[in-house]
Amino acid sequence: MLVPLTYNLRSLFVRRSATVLTLLGIGATVTVLTGFLALQAGFRSLYTQGGRDDVVIFMRPSSTSEGQSLFLREIADRLIKSSPEILAVGDAPPVAAMETYFAVRKQKAHGAGETNVPIRGVQPTSFQLRDGLRIVEGRELKFGSDELIVGRKLIDRMAGCNVGDVIVLNLTPFRVVGIFEGPGACESEIWTDFDRASVALNIPWANAILAKLRPGTDFKKLEERIRSDKETPAKVMTEVDYLRSQTNALGMMLGLLGSILGTVMGIAAVFTAMNTMLAALAARTHEIGILLSIGFRPFSIFVSFLFEALLLGVLGGAIGCLLALPLHGIKTGTTNWDTFTEVAFAFRITPEVLTTAVVFSLALGLLGGAIPAFRAARLAPTEALRRR
Amino acid sequence: MISFKLVRRNLTKHKMRSALTIASLMVGVFLLCVLKSMVVALESGVAGAKRDRLVVQSAASLFIGLPLPYQQRIAEVPGVQKTCKWCWFGGYFREPKNFLGAFATDSDTIFDVYPEMEVIDGSIDDWRKDRSGCLIGDLLAQQFDWKVGQTIPIISANYLPPSGDAWQFTVRAIYKSESSAVDRRTFFFNWDYFQESFEKVMKRTPDTSTIVMRTKPGADQNEIMRTVEGFYENGPQRVQCTTEAAFQAQFLTMMGNVPFLVTSIGSGVLVAIALACVNTMLMAFRDQAHDVGIMKALGFTDGGVSGFMLGQSMLLCIVGGGLGILLVKGLEPAFMAFLGSVFPGYAVTGRTLAVAALVTVAIGLVAGVVPAIAARRLRCVEALRSVE
Repeated sequence: MLVPLTYNLRSLFVRRSATVLTLLGIGATVTVLTGFLALQAGFRSLYTQGGRDDVVIFMRPSSTSEGQSLFLREIADRLIKSSPEILAVGDAPPVAAMETYFAVRKQKAHGAGETNVPIRGVQPTSFQLRDGLRIVEGRELKFGSDELIVGRKLIDRMAGCNVGDVIVLNLTPFRVVGIFEGPGACESEIWTDFDRASVALNIPWANAILAKLRPGTDFKKLEERIRSDKETPAKVMTEVDYLRSQTNALGMMLGLLGSILGTVMGIAAVFTAMNTMLAALAARTHEIGILLSIGFRPFSIFVSFLFEALLLGVLGGAIGCLLALPLHGIKTGTTNWDTFTEVAFAFRITPEVLTTAVVFSLALGLLGGAIPAFRAARLAPTEALRRR
Repeated sequence: MISFKLVRRNLTKHKMRSALTIASLMVGVFLLCVLKSMVVALESGVAGAKRDRLVVQSAASLFIGLPLPYQQRIAEVPGVQKTCKWCWFGGYFREPKNFLGAFATDSDTIFDVYPEMEVIDGSIDDWRKDRSGCLIGDLLAQQFDWKVGQTIPIISANYLPPSGDAWQFTVRAIYKSESSAVDRRTFFFNWDYFQESFEKVMKRTPDTSTIVMRTKPGADQNEIMRTVEGFYENGPQRVQCTTEAAFQAQFLTMMGNVPFLVTSIGSGVLVAIALACVNTMLMAFRDQAHDVGIMKALGFTDGGVSGFMLGQSMLLCIVGGGLGILLVKGLEPAFMAFLGSVFPGYAVTGRTLAVAALVTVAIGLVAGVVPAIAARRLRCVEALRSVE
């Protein structure tokens, strides 16, 4: 027979100051961890949502990011023309775009210093290649003119990014004509005409080629053919894989920090929980003696104490999650070291984040409660009864 | 008067509780120091920057290089002692995750521009003589277990090798540096070899990412910066000439909110460990209320019993915090090796330790003050009436 659960609830209530302090201690730990996971989730979701399997990116062999890749124009042209896998409808040109990707120095808003804002030189097909990109203010980019459109996330973060502002690329002034919304990290980018940017910056090349594949294309075969091409070997990745690979450096840094935090703060929280449960044990030794003498099995005592510890853990976890909830949606930004450019993202408290936090807090309770529960179960009834 | 022995004896009465509290304080203070050291690491480039070094980079973008003839012209500016190129190579060893800070540089001048670099294995002359030789930092050598004389294949994300899949470099010298301005994980190789290989593949002259100069003692740096920026006001690539500190600071501002985030995590940790200590001290007071009554009956003053509680709290915190400080200092080399690739310049400074010590004392006071007041207010008749 198990000890009634109300016994545990009431015990927690009787020792409320210790209970509250322990809950807050576990809560603080879980808040920090949840906030951190939310940050990680926000960053990752930028790169994992919106990636498609039928859109591919061509880069130079061994490049890990489009900014590092480089194709001379004629080579890029040849690559597009010699790839029948790229979708082409009727007589229209293939759905492929040469793009340049580089960064310009820009002052952050509110005088927070300079950072590198990504600028993408695009072709008309680039718009066709990105679902869900739309102008929300101003107008579309006119090709052949020195114009820019700016991702919505940049507006508040960077100085001088509004419609009508002028951004000088090397020596040529470019005017901002529109603001766009779009999937993933492109909302942190500035877009301009590929050809005009090449002239202004004197870079006669494309960084990467983005293309849509014909339905039913065997990606493995394409990859193999492009890699072993005699004249212009290249690396081709699906957009999904490419975007995922762009989170490595920062993802590793966040992961490293997160695991150090989780482990160390977790240890401290386990100790606190254990202390509280040991104190509970000391205060209730007499009661345990009574429970044992009226016929409860040691195992029931063990379960009862463990349950109480788990309850502490899960309540603390709930407090932690609640405290972390207001973080959801708060925007922040840092440099993505894979692309070496600024990226803006928001904290995201996802169901996975909450699940991890709750499992973590349960584990804290379990680890903190195991030893006190074991000790409680081992008490001899006569000894325990003698203690007042 | 409260003797130290009395305080100590009361803590050792509950060995488990004291040990758990000390342990959570220890890990908490340890974590605080680690987090602070990470912030120090992020700021180390700025902190270690030398006043007599200036850096020239493209004014438009970090992604855009400077034409080679720029170096000669800059070297001739009055007040400039020596110059050397740094060309970002985007190198990695075998896999992108083994990412290196690799640069092509001038082997004949780099030691003049960076006099704090000291070769500890191999020799400078060997490196200068071997075209495909490289000079690597001691921590990098340690990380991959590279020895002088060893040939290392390096893949570059930015540049195709002259032949085969990878560039081949032979380690000719290993350097270390006491100054945080020089990362001890950098991989340098000869510019001439880079230029020759680049020309073979690309059929044009390479650009350099930055040009670093050391100025003569007493030279007017503002004048030099103005002169250099003035040279290229009208192209072909406009340049920005800054002090080394300002150059390093741009990488810090690129981090955006990261230092702030790490600091806020630190405050979360602080709250958690403070709660743990308060919890312990409240438990201690509950246990000792009867004893305090006896002490008061024996003639201990209100101040005396307050000191008795506060003393326990302080002793717990000082021992816990002290162990944490010892632990973080003891593990510094291990953490440097473990975190170095993400946080180069990780160092536990005296300032960090002083802050940790201060925090420890503050927690001791906070945790001790409530039981100290309670002990002062306790009426001895009441205390004696409560039977344990």
